[in-house]
Amino acid sequence: MYELVIIGGGPAAVAAGVYAGRKRIKTALITESFGGQSIVSNEIYNWIGTKAISGLSLAQNLEAHVRDHGAEIIDGEIVTAIAKIDGGPPTGHFLITTKSGKTVETKTIFMATGSRRKRLGIPGEDRLDGRGVVFCSTCDAPLFKGKDIAIVGAGNAALEAAVDSIPYANKIYMLVRGSEMRGDAVTQEKIKSHPKVTILFNTVSQEVLGEKSVTGLRTIEKTTNKATDLAVQGVFVEIGSRPNSDPAKELVSLNQIGEIVVDHKTQASSCSGIWAAGDVSDVLYKQNNISAGDAVKAVLNVYDFLHRNHLFAANK
Amino acid sequence: MNNIIIYSTPTCVYCKMAKEYFKTKGVEFTEHNVAEDDAAREDMLKKSGQMGVPVIDINGTIIVGFNKPEVEAALR
Repeated sequence: MYELVIIGGGPAAVAAGVYAGRKRIKTALITESFGGQSIVSNEIYNWIGTKAISGLSLAQNLEAHVRDHGAEIIDGEIVTAIAKIDGGPPTGHFLITTKSGKTVETKTIFMATGSRRKRLGIPGEDRLDGRGVVFCSTCDAPLFKGKDIAIVGAGNAALEAAVDSIPYANKIYMLVRGSEMRGDAVTQEKIKSHPKVTILFNTVSQEVLGEKSVTGLRTIEKTTNKATDLAVQGVFVEIGSRPNSDPAKELVSLNQIGEIVVDHKTQASSCSGIWAAGDVSDVLYKQNNISAGDAVKAVLNVYDFLHRNHLFAANK
Repeated sequence: MNNIIIYSTPTCVYCKMAKEYFKTKGVEFTEHNVAEDDAAREDMLKKSGQMGVPVIDINGTIIVGFNKPEVEAALR
């Protein structure tokens, strides 16, 4: 039985692992991989104490740091279910199940599961994934040299996908659901004025077309309800993310968009014994530094909880 | 002796992860930058049907993305 199980491998999970180790809390950390969503960033300039670092280096540093602090690392695993045993803590505990069928028992849980990319949920998207449907613009933009592409989305990720694609693509359609773009104003201006870019407002995607690879995208202009097939060879999906709160959704309060509602003084969720921080929580600003700081808050509060309820074994 | 080819782009972090993995294993590989090399891009498409990197060819086994268990299984 662990005193704490940390779920996740990003900055929040690692910060929690380091602090838990220093508090001698008997801890396991379950993650599919390390680094969090910043792993795909080429350079990160705002990770405090480091002038610039690549996403990959940050991931390696995070992994090395947490491995140095005594938590048992269970990697390559995804948590699929969390259940209360004997009513959950403080009297009972939790049973965690992973995708491969592994089970872990623990007195407390820290959810640092982050968020994952939203998909369009339209016909053709899954079938043509990797065959013209792109979820990593930074990775794959160069493959669409001289081709026409559509970018779905209106936020910063969509703007960055356009910036990544401008040197390569022949023509870029940007599908914006509403009547205006969101995201960084300076980048918006740069994109709007670029001759390769056509912005289609009030437009949604309906079907990705193509047999073996993408040949088009069926779109609907919402004000006129008119369908148009864009002849494109690439569809870049950049419509934001959704929190990975599913394993805990029966136990904790979630807000409308599925984030775990926490007490921002302690990061405690509505369920006794479960804490959360980072992108899976209802924190207003999704930032690596904030995730790490909030995770520290959570672990200090976990430590108090274990002591208060006489659940802490290290100093007995 | 393994014959390994990685099709990559300079901006792809999963390609970097794959290359670092081979380096730490001490396994040699050939890299093709498909952002620049049109012929290699065609090869990649023919082998995998994929418009996404990395594509890794290990002794003729085609692996899409950096899937570590699959890579390990394909290595001799």
